[in-house]
Amino acid sequence: MPALTSNAGDTSLVLLPPEAPDSPAVIPFLHGIKPPISPRLSISWSRGNSLRVSVFKQSPQSDAVTSTGSNETDGGRVVELKLGSAGDGGGGEIDDAAQWRRIAYGSVAPFALLQSRKNSMSALSRMSSSSSYDAEWWAYVLEYSKEINSLLGYRRSPPSLAIEDPRTLLKKVEEPTCLKAAWELMEVFYADKQSQAWLPERLVDWLADFDSLFSGTQPTIHSKLLDFQEELVTLQAVEDDPRYWEAISLALAVGWLDIAVKLLRLHGSYQLNQLGNRETENGLVEAVAVLISKMPRMRSKSAAGNLGECFKSKPDFIKALEKWRAQITKLDCSAFWLQCGHHQTMEGLKSILQIMLGNASTLSASTCHWLELYIAHFIYIRPFTAGLESMYTLAQKCLQVKPVSRPHKLMKLLTGILGENTEVVLAECSKSFGPWMIAHAVELLTAGSTHADIVLHEERDNLGGISIEELHRLVYAQFLSSHALTWQIAPIYLTSCIKQGMGLLEILLYKQPVHHNQVLLKNLEICRLYELDRVSSNIMKMAGVHHWKHGTKGSGVFWLQQARDEFRLNRIAQHLFGFQWEGLIELLGSDSRTAGGLEFLHKYRDFKRSLQQVHDGTVTDAAQRAAEALISLMKNPSTPHRFWLPLLYDSLKLFNWQECPLLNVPQTNLLLNKLQELSMAMLRPDFIEADLPPQALSSVRLALATNLGRAILDH
Amino acid sequence: MARNGTPHPQPLQIHRLPQSKYIDALRWLPPISPFDRHVVLAAFNSDSDASAVEIHSINSKNPSETLTHHFSWTSPHRISSLKVSQTPQKPVIAASSFSGSLHVLFADSLDAMIDSEVSLPENALHAGPISGIDLNENGSECVTVGMDGRVNVVNVGGSGVSYRKVFDSNGLASYTATKWASPAEFATGGPGFGVQWWDQRKCGGPAAQFKGNWAQKTSGIVHSIDIHPSRKHTCLAGGSSGSVFAWDLRWQQQPIILSGVGMGETPAQSLSESEVWEVQYDTFTRAANLASISSARVLPAMICSEDGILAVVEQGEEAIELLAEPCAINSFDIDKQNPSDVICCLEWESIAVLSRA
Repeated sequence: MPALTSNAGDTSLVLLPPEAPDSPAVIPFLHGIKPPISPRLSISWSRGNSLRVSVFKQSPQSDAVTSTGSNETDGGRVVELKLGSAGDGGGGEIDDAAQWRRIAYGSVAPFALLQSRKNSMSALSRMSSSSSYDAEWWAYVLEYSKEINSLLGYRRSPPSLAIEDPRTLLKKVEEPTCLKAAWELMEVFYADKQSQAWLPERLVDWLADFDSLFSGTQPTIHSKLLDFQEELVTLQAVEDDPRYWEAISLALAVGWLDIAVKLLRLHGSYQLNQLGNRETENGLVEAVAVLISKMPRMRSKSAAGNLGECFKSKPDFIKALEKWRAQITKLDCSAFWLQCGHHQTMEGLKSILQIMLGNASTLSASTCHWLELYIAHFIYIRPFTAGLESMYTLAQKCLQVKPVSRPHKLMKLLTGILGENTEVVLAECSKSFGPWMIAHAVELLTAGSTHADIVLHEERDNLGGISIEELHRLVYAQFLSSHALTWQIAPIYLTSCIKQGMGLLEILLYKQPVHHNQVLLKNLEICRLYELDRVSSNIMKMAGVHHWKHGTKGSGVFWLQQARDEFRLNRIAQHLFGFQWEGLIELLGSDSRTAGGLEFLHKYRDFKRSLQQVHDGTVTDAAQRAAEALISLMKNPSTPHRFWLPLLYDSLKLFNWQECPLLNVPQTNLLLNKLQELSMAMLRPDFIEADLPPQALSSVRLALATNLGRAILDH
Repeated sequence: MARNGTPHPQPLQIHRLPQSKYIDALRWLPPISPFDRHVVLAAFNSDSDASAVEIHSINSKNPSETLTHHFSWTSPHRISSLKVSQTPQKPVIAASSFSGSLHVLFADSLDAMIDSEVSLPENALHAGPISGIDLNENGSECVTVGMDGRVNVVNVGGSGVSYRKVFDSNGLASYTATKWASPAEFATGGPGFGVQWWDQRKCGGPAAQFKGNWAQKTSGIVHSIDIHPSRKHTCLAGGSSGSVFAWDLRWQQQPIILSGVGMGETPAQSLSESEVWEVQYDTFTRAANLASISSARVLPAMICSEDGILAVVEQGEEAIELLAEPCAINSFDIDKQNPSDVICCLEWESIAVLSRA
């Protein structure tokens, strides 16, 4: 709840957040109003996170009802205060608001496409249920996931053909984000059904891409390799340094085979001048390097440039793995080790072989945090782990070996996914990655499991009868609505919400400013797209009234006519009568039938024209037309009472026409009746006296009576 | 889609360049040399509420065409309309604001920097926003129109800046777009698909006007007007409901409808059903073809629309869609010197550069 403190010239707004009322936020602002300032001020929400504060000058007589309208510019000021940053999507790491908006813009098309496919497929599935439905649907979800993923930054850079520096271990790539890492994790588990068979290998790749993200809170293999890379330049004989062997073990443990092989080839024994006396040693190093590069992997295809031999089918892989392990054991037991003169090399290589053979304690020593250990287990000990349950058990085991005091948000997300706990996954997405993430990730979750589908689509009484899915879409739509550049994409999300969406969309549309022509037209365009004719008409009325009030009368009439607002047009017609109206009528065009409430003005214009001709000469034809126009005007119910007398008074010449009576008996009677009605109305207190000579009424009555007499005689 | 009898679809290169700000309008700057090209952007930064006229150099040799920020002039208000004179020696950039101010910037042709600037403050020319402006050929006169119903001609030649009120409807009429036809004549457009023809030698109101029908449900507003130098009697106008029509002064009663549902009758085609924000004659028609188009026919025109269409429309031909974006295209400009190149700004804070071969 906001409160205001003020001293001379400087004002601050104090915000007391409900969750922490003890730590108020103080926002000073300038309003340029000289004291004394009225203690009353008006605070209202403007668009998004902006507060609109109206500050008034203290009037000399503060109790006086009349406000000083003479000096409006100094009477008060409206100040808009931005609270917080509008672009804060909650992701924490993408603090550039423009970057967030780019993601928001980019996700509109994939989201809308998926929704429309979902709708058409659910219509189809009602007619026939088949398994091809599922396959097709998963293809769509995967396509959606890949498109969203591509918005979150690029995957590792394509292999470069340039000659690489042999001492560069980790290629410099675009800094990965947790948002992308989280999305890819969900894609692996929920969207990509084809990769289910080699899920462990997908996780190996995932960690290779995103291990650096964990470096912030704890040491990682990535950070250790990065440190070692810097020192590598200064090292002469790398094989003498224990950190060299550690780096190889680290890289190998999480399956970064190319880095391990690259490091091994930096071994001093490869140098030409040493090759002669270190032949056996070099042979052992090379044998290990070859074994590493021939490591069998169960996956569809190797990531570009990566080492290892890929096998698609399980039997082929088992066969290759057995053979590979046999080769390692053979090497481990070979007699060459005895001839190896370099102690560190022998120790290091032996330890590398232990990793390759899947020695649990060596793996544990060669990894930094539990996730790396987990990945190492997949590669070397349990490559056939399948099913979330066993993956979860393994994760728990690794967590016990390498516990973390404050788990990283990606770790929490992964545990939630492995534990098949939809609520935890949702909570983590929402807490760590904000409304954008959750609104879009729900699609992956619901595609991934039937349980999640039920949880997310179930209508809940505690949410006012909407589902969790709808709730998160609404929250995201609110987030979009709060910014002047993204409010236009909120309708896409709102219209996908069955229960509350349309109601909130109407509110959103009504809240847009009508004075900015472009915004107004964009607003009306949204109404047209979603067939909100009533809203559209109301917005046009608002625009019409706004323009009318602000002096742009032509635009005001235009919008009221577009809105078919007969009522207001009638009022305007009466208001316009007497001044300015001729110019406006000229602009309206000649077709009086469609002019709505301005019909009266059209008729009046015709009448005035013929009357003018009558005054210019004495042509009976023109007079006859003028008389007809008069009758038509007087018959028309939209002609206001207060104009009757001026109209009749203007027509005196017609009633006293010399050549012949222009009005017949019933016409004259009609006018007399109107005159009688008028005399009665004049007695009422709210009657507005026309600016006419006092004898006007009697002279009209007399002229009409004369005309009646002549008409009867003529007849 | 056929284009002047050629059956091949046009090869088209499109480069999308994301910006981190909203682009209200953009224009090509007359080129200094064939390799050194610049564009002028009216940029609005929503985070800081700051507006600017920015000059960027554009690299058209590089396939990953990029904009390099070159010069920036901070505008006190958000820009509503942006025009550039086609004078290679001394390009003049005029920008009007939603607050009603007009800023005229004089660029140096050698380094594409802004040398000097003259401004008219808010409320000098118009009460409220200026909705449309146009610079004449040599950049010495600028016509401004507004919703307030005023029409002004601002003289920016010489040392100072002076202006003359051509007409004031006192709010009874509103104007949203304008375009010079000759040194003395210009056209304006407004609500109700109205187009007015003004002759500065005749005072007291428009010399001729076309009144669309206001009262129809499908009526709308003219957002943009163009007049071809070789066809000064024809105003090309684009506006609401996808409407694109040509109003020929010689046949004032009946406009020629190129596209749209807004004019009541059944049109030949409808490219778009939403607002057409800008129209320009498409000068990318070979000279031979231009001569063969009879003077009664409307020259090909390019349009951009709220529903994300950038297309070329031609009387009696099927339209050629150059872009179909998921968001609005707010403005575009055809390079006068090199009409195969088009630049347009998209609502989702990005720019697209197109080159046709």
